[in-house]
Amino acid sequence: MSRFVIAPLLAAVTTAVLTLALGRRPRIQRATSVAGAVAYVGTVSAAVWSVVLGPAAPGAAAYQVGGWPAPFGITLVLDGLSAFMLTIAAGVGAASILFSLRYVTAENQRVYYHPLFHMLLVGATGAFLTGDLFNLFVWFEVMLIVSYVFVAFYGTDHATAASFRYLVMNVFGSALMLVAVGGLYATTGTLNMADMARRLAAPDAYGIDPAPVVGLSALLLAVFALKAGLVPFQFWVPAAYTAAPAPITAMFAGVTKKVGIYAIVRLYFTVLAAASVPVDAPGLTAASPLGFLAPVLGAMGVASIVVGGFGAVGRDRLGAVFAYSSIGQVGFIAVPVAVAAAAPPAGTLRGVAIAAALVFALHHALAKGLLFLSAAAVEDATKTDRLADLGGFAGHSPVLSGAVFVGLLSLIGLPPLTGFFGKLLAFDAAVRGVASAPGPSSALALVALLLGAVLTILYATRVWVGGFWGRETTAVEVATVESGQVAVLVALAAAVVLVGVGFDPIYRFAETAAAAALDSEGYVDVVGLSGGDGA
Amino acid sequence: MRTTARVTVPIVLVVSISLFLQGHNLPGGGFIGGVLTAAAFVLIYVAHDLDYLESGVLGREVEAGTSVFEHRTVTAYRRTLLAGLVIVLGSGFAGLLVGDPFLTQGYVHLEGVPIYHEVELASALAFDLGVYLVVVGSLLTIVSVVSAE
Repeated sequence: MSRFVIAPLLAAVTTAVLTLALGRRPRIQRATSVAGAVAYVGTVSAAVWSVVLGPAAPGAAAYQVGGWPAPFGITLVLDGLSAFMLTIAAGVGAASILFSLRYVTAENQRVYYHPLFHMLLVGATGAFLTGDLFNLFVWFEVMLIVSYVFVAFYGTDHATAASFRYLVMNVFGSALMLVAVGGLYATTGTLNMADMARRLAAPDAYGIDPAPVVGLSALLLAVFALKAGLVPFQFWVPAAYTAAPAPITAMFAGVTKKVGIYAIVRLYFTVLAAASVPVDAPGLTAASPLGFLAPVLGAMGVASIVVGGFGAVGRDRLGAVFAYSSIGQVGFIAVPVAVAAAAPPAGTLRGVAIAAALVFALHHALAKGLLFLSAAAVEDATKTDRLADLGGFAGHSPVLSGAVFVGLLSLIGLPPLTGFFGKLLAFDAAVRGVASAPGPSSALALVALLLGAVLTILYATRVWVGGFWGRETTAVEVATVESGQVAVLVALAAAVVLVGVGFDPIYRFAETAAAAALDSEGYVDVVGLSGGDGA
Repeated sequence: MRTTARVTVPIVLVVSISLFLQGHNLPGGGFIGGVLTAAAFVLIYVAHDLDYLESGVLGREVEAGTSVFEHRTVTAYRRTLLAGLVIVLGSGFAGLLVGDPFLTQGYVHLEGVPIYHEVELASALAFDLGVYLVVVGSLLTIVSVVSAE
């Protein structure tokens, strides 16, 4: 049973090594890479089905790497939350690698593209699975080192500058994370997340003083927000997203960003929720780290929606519009998480809000993956992604434009697409947040969501009218669309529609995930800590 | 410089190997051993040049005019890196084959070995060998490619 937990990680890392070994045989290398992606999807499905969703599933499982018992060794934990995120990663990963085959030139694919792609999956998978705080840092690094290379992949001036900025930002972020992890270790005496949750729930029994936890977790919040691209840490996003190869941008938006969100939810709701530490910052008093998270993350989310929305409206290139839109959409994920943090622990609102954030994350991964890849397909065909030079694409290539249309409508939130449910649940959470705690901050969150929704309609309309409607420009007239790329886009668009139409099981999955995120005690039980009692 | 290199390189190499061998239960290990080995090679490069290992030590002809990525030494380093990765992965999977969790390690004591009398043979050494090769391969690839720029 528990062996399924590590299977996705092994599938990805084995594929990375195999594709590296096959660098001299490009065709076999590509076949291996696709086979590896299929194996990844297969192992993730098997793991999710057997551990979380299946009829006889235990709901969560732990795997002690190397046979070292928790909390001394590294524990991998697959619960509902990890399963939900892994499913997103598998879907986006498979679409991206298939798109890469027809998009990235054969020459460039040979240059370590496939090994690095699978290492990116390894990093994300590890981050979703690990139950150890230091190990989380290591997986972040794995993901980052690969990302640096991908941002600099084309070696142009723009890419090199973007990569360097990204590098500086993240090296700083990593140093901060290391300090915070070290501080938490010094404070709680453990790195295992389950052990940390157990100790923080009963600080006296373990003889620890949890007071520094809030400040240290704030450092971690900053690092995770940097990964997620939340305002005020958003400025690396547009440059890095437009510099990286498009399938990788889809991975960044769909998977890497979600790792940041996942880490915030995991750390605050699973690990720190049980701690009761008085917070006394200027203008802020609360009884637990969650009381600190709610206003701060809420403000970040609101700012992201505003900055991302206005930024996207003002851009004149497809890739840049979607990059800014990505910042705004992460705000839509952050606001429900903040609502959950502000909600009383006993009520149902917390679970509802987390589920809303997760559904929005799924919607964003699918829709934004689809849109980034379509922008790449359009650019590949017309050699430009300037809205001014595009126009009339709908008449030129109805299928590709149809896929874009589905993506844009989902972004706007039209039923029955996935985006409708994402937005519906986000608004539902915000309204309930206002109802449970009336006040200026919860009302502000609702207003920001409304503003974000209006801005989304604005830039989506602008993209559609500017790029796809109207007369065909000269660039569009001579364009030839690659059919292999379109096939992937159609599949993604179909996924956006299908997830929306058959939404019920998806929502139950999200609810399971949210319940797992909030169930600290269940998490501690699954990890099966041995020793260290009352130490 | 060359005289210093001639004296120090063997010492550095021996120390690096001893660090690597004792790594699984004393300070040391594949990473630091690998770094030290790479340092020894870098010392040779500083004292001589990138082609010295081929022409001076192995006595081969050096093909001129190819880019650094096709350079035979660099290719060898990249193979070293790959071999290391394969060994690391293989040593991880070995535990799975006998039914233990991934990366499980074990050890045996061999008695009656000549000279040493008793030797502890740990499977962690295989993993460490992989790490060692990865470190040597990657560091030397980086150093030779960057220095060729």
